[in-house]
Amino acid sequence: MFEKVAELLKEQLDLETVEIRPDSSFKEDLGVDSLDLFELVMALEDEFGVEIPPEDLETMNTVGDVAEYLKNKGVEE
Amino acid sequence: MKSRITELLGIEYPVFQGGMAWVAEHHLAAAVSEAGGLGIIGAASAPAQVVREEIRKARELTDKPVGVNIMLMNPNAPEVARMVIEEGVKVVTTGAGNPVKFMKEFKEAGVKVIPVVASVAMARMMERGGADAVIAEGMESGGHIGSITTMALLPQVVDAVKIPVIAAGGIGDGRGLAAAFMLGAEAVQMGTRFVVAQESIVHTNYKEKVLKAKDIDSEITGTSTGHPIRQIRNQMSREYLRLEKEGAGLEELEKLTLGSLRRAVMDGDVVSGTLMAGQIAGLVKKKQSCREMIEEIMDEAQGVLKKECERWAR
Repeated sequence: MFEKVAELLKEQLDLETVEIRPDSSFKEDLGVDSLDLFELVMALEDEFGVEIPPEDLETMNTVGDVAEYLKNKGVEE
Repeated sequence: MKSRITELLGIEYPVFQGGMAWVAEHHLAAAVSEAGGLGIIGAASAPAQVVREEIRKARELTDKPVGVNIMLMNPNAPEVARMVIEEGVKVVTTGAGNPVKFMKEFKEAGVKVIPVVASVAMARMMERGGADAVIAEGMESGGHIGSITTMALLPQVVDAVKIPVIAAGGIGDGRGLAAAFMLGAEAVQMGTRFVVAQESIVHTNYKEKVLKAKDIDSEITGTSTGHPIRQIRNQMSREYLRLEKEGAGLEELEKLTLGSLRRAVMDGDVVSGTLMAGQIAGLVKKKQSCREMIEEIMDEAQGVLKKECERWAR
């Protein structure tokens, strides 16, 4: 799941050359701002066919958080 | 002269006054509402009790709807949100964040929620979260800004959502309003033009700076901090940009900005104060009452729409 999220992130936000780890923080490590996060959520929803309520955004600080969140939502690998 | 926005809010003209920190207090908001637009009190970082007083004072001046802008980044936002519901405010605009966590309470209380958005994805998410409309604000605006221009952002947001869209950023007269309508907006929000209104409590020195500003006098500070701010250039902005270029840290930069908007608005300190204004400041040349401004803008918009339709759409 993490790999899929990382791949999507790279593609969506032009982070191809950046190393992404499960503990990479969106804000500090990847320089992802709040507008980028909205983009990412939209892309995740399209990719995995889930709905991510905006308030859930606030629980996601790292890339690993997103993978964990999707797992908990029952998204299949 | 009706749109979904005028119907939704029960206002006469599709014109909002932006919820500018320090500037958008009860005199200005009440004057705009009384003139048929939507006046908005900017809660900014003020304590809930102060904003409550502002709402009550505005109501002494007008029976028409007055909105409140809540800055969601502020720690006191939940408190302000509760107070706004207690006071029976019917329309709230939100800036700098995600209002969805307050949406349920607002909806139950019959408050219309209109978030300011700076991207298509954000607009779509707000719509899904239950927003009644969105304000698509381009980077021509004064104060805190995004990175897309109104011209590019507005039609893309209009295409992406079904709820009505209000245009903001770079609109200062009837031509701007007409252009926004052509791009699909159903109302506009203006800030800079109302800064110089007769009813605005902004210090004369600040108003003079806006009235004298040229098109190129606008500068963006704070890009390095992730919170860019558009303002009219002065000693403060030059000093800030110099420090930014030298790679100064947040702490050093914040020394310059601490209380700097208040100093400009209230004390008329145009040297070390922050003169927030949009790029359209160069077009703002007259001190008028809010009523004169709104009526002039509406007349001008209708005139230009009619004329251009005759020319281009026969």
